[in-house]
Amino acid sequence: MTDSSRSRVFANVRQACRGAGEDTIAQELEALGTAPTADLPAADIHTAFLANVLKNQGSVDCVANRSGAVKALADYLYRHFRSHRLVAGNDPHLAAMPWREAGVLPRFGSVEPGEPVALSYALLGVAEIGGIVTLTGKANPAANNLLSEHHIVLVESTRLVRDMEAAWECIERESAKTGRSRGVNFIAGPSSTADIEGKLVYGAHGPRNWHVILMGDVPANALEEAHALAGR
Amino acid sequence: MKQTSHTFLDNAHTALQDRDKAARRDFMALFTPLIRNAAMDDFGHFEELRQHVKEVRQHTLDNLDHYLTRFEREALHNGNHVHFATDADQLNSIVLDICQQHSARRIAKGKSMVTEETGLNDYLKRAGLRVMETDLGEYIIQQAGETPSHIVGPALHKSAAEIRELFLAKHDLGERELAETSDMVGEARKVLREHFLKAEVGVIGANALIAENGYSMLVTNEGNGDLCANLPNVLIVCTTIDRVVPRARDATAMLRLLVRSATGQPQTCYTSFYSGPRREQDSDGPLETHFVLLDNRRTEILASDYREMLQCIRCGACLNHCPIYAATGGHAYGWVYPGPMGSILTPLLTSLEQSNALPNACTSCGRCAEVCPADIPLPDLLRDLRHDENRQKLSSSRWRLGMRLHAWLARHPGLYHACTGIGIAALHLLGQRKGSFTQLPMASGWTSERDFPAPQGKTFMHQYAALQRADKAREDKSAAVAKPPRRRARPGSGKASGERQEPGLRADWPLKPDPRRPGKTRPGTAGGKGTGKGKPGAHPGGPRGKKPRSRQSDDR
Ligand code: SF4
Repeated sequence: MTDSSRSRVFANVRQACRGAGEDTIAQELEALGTAPTADLPAADIHTAFLANVLKNQGSVDCVANRSGAVKALADYLYRHFRSHRLVAGNDPHLAAMPWREAGVLPRFGSVEPGEPVALSYALLGVAEIGGIVTLTGKANPAANNLLSEHHIVLVESTRLVRDMEAAWECIERESAKTGRSRGVNFIAGPSSTADIEGKLVYGAHGPRNWHVILMGDVPANALEEAHALAGR
Repeated sequence: MKQTSHTFLDNAHTALQDRDKAARRDFMALFTPLIRNAAMDDFGHFEELRQHVKEVRQHTLDNLDHYLTRFEREALHNGNHVHFATDADQLNSIVLDICQQHSARRIAKGKSMVTEETGLNDYLKRAGLRVMETDLGEYIIQQAGETPSHIVGPALHKSAAEIRELFLAKHDLGERELAETSDMVGEARKVLREHFLKAEVGVIGANALIAENGYSMLVTNEGNGDLCANLPNVLIVCTTIDRVVPRARDATAMLRLLVRSATGQPQTCYTSFYSGPRREQDSDGPLETHFVLLDNRRTEILASDYREMLQCIRCGACLNHCPIYAATGGHAYGWVYPGPMGSILTPLLTSLEQSNALPNACTSCGRCAEVCPADIPLPDLLRDLRHDENRQKLSSSRWRLGMRLHAWLARHPGLYHACTGIGIAALHLLGQRKGSFTQLPMASGWTSERDFPAPQGKTFMHQYAALQRADKAREDKSAAVAKPPRRRARPGSGKASGERQEPGLRADWPLKPDPRRPGKTRPGTAGGKGTGKGKPGAHPGGPRGKKPRSRQSDDR
């Protein structure tokens, strides 16, 4: 059935199109130029990223290195759960973290019912949207992004890009190396809904809390300035 | 879904009686434009981005054969099954076939206006499947047995109290308060989580299909679409052929407009791109993925003079800014798509006979065209549909006679001005004592709801001509004082060439080429948005011919 439907749809589409050659089409598309992107709230990309994460109702931490990241994680877990447990994807960057230094007890794999915290290692952070990018796979089981109550993301400061187009360039470079991944997830905030009388509620289906830890060289006043820019 | 667009006026009348819902609509009509405007101001390059995305969308539609072929090739390469459906029934039966092949009983469904259009839920339900909408708004109306009232917020017509009652009745969860909105959201989360984990098939829509890499783009805030796309073993993406964009960066450019126009956010919480089934090294994800690409008369629209409507990105901004939508709500439109975009899509996707009331549900205020991120000239398309309605003799013969009479008069400006002058003077005389009319012959539709103010005695053209005369007399007087009198033609007055011109009309009236709509003309108003406010002469000899469009034939 769909073979003949396919032919019919394509016949109708062709009739309504101008039948230009591939080269002409490619040239015309190129000539359309690029889209304007959003201005960043700060000249420094780290500050801009952190400010936009905060605007998206995420919470943030800045740490200098992996030891700092593990300590920040331990603080976060203790603050919210009086525990040191979390679930992390099978990502080599996460496996190599000095977990024992802060007594954090990670379990590597997918979130199971009753496990409230998941940790992801982001491929990228995108300053324009205050969001992060993960690729699906063993390193990032979808359940960890979507089923936990608290989703924590570790982003290296060297992995920040300005906008979504720059992010796609990186994603395409990754794809060239490892093949197209099944899913590319841009995450920019906790799960939310305004479907009841327009009132905003967090934790519609996915995480109620979204916490980003920016790791690496970040200007000393970036965090403070980001809070001031975001007004929170 | 049973269509009731032909009874729009009755539906609207009924909707207006419900004061609570009308008050909520009024609030949303004030609130949603505020958040959209704030987001656009914050972004700062709205017009530049809108024109860029428009050009890309136009380019894509002009070359849809190329991009659709490319998308299909890439999607197959990524391991998907790609199906084409010419109409609603075909899409439904393709989806049912896939479900039956996998002996599926439970379907988790993300928000999809396309499957509303095809009535997929009822179709699957009749075949014994359990379909659960997972977007909170869609879930609420599914439980209530209703249809969406808005393309972005499908349950915004319901009060929190109604939703509370609904949940208490539908969820067998014992005694509880559900006093807060967050309690209701939490309850839906709990109920739906179970369904997500048990569903064998996930069905989602797509905001864009990317030709260069075969990914589909899914934009949500709740994350429900992603749960549908990741947890069940089979994923079916139902969308339409016009969703294709050339490159990933075209999808992200469109996304910037979409989220700001729809919800006033700079970015949605979850923007996901899915390419196909689980890879060997993956620990989760569907084992099998399908695209079902629906035509359902979109190729007819592509070939017609309404092609621009296919540029719609389904943001809902035109609904939020439309005074008719605010007054009547979405259900009055009687089908899937309400508001200005629905008043165009419904006649095109169903039939003008069934829905000719919708293009008339327009005040020609032009707000929709101003905010539409796809820059679709919605009021122009609505006017063209009204012209089609007239041509196809779908309106009453009395109305058509009136239109013919008006058209004839409008083509004889001298007579037109004389007649309106007499009419206005007469109404002035008759109404000057009370200041308004409570009844007027042939205008009961107006006077049954409100008084008609008595005119002040002179038409606009009379007053304008008088002002111009006074202006000119003043100029002549000051010229006579400054230097010896010498008559000069004023620019644009037409007097230099001895042409006679109606006072106050621009030299380029009525028509000049419209740069926004190649091959078309619009009234030569300076910098106007082309809202087509019924100005005489906008389309001499009728609106644009149905096909082929001049632009297409030029480009061939
Ligand atoms: S017609 Fe324009 S404003 Fe209306 S939904 Fe479509 S893109 Fe949005």
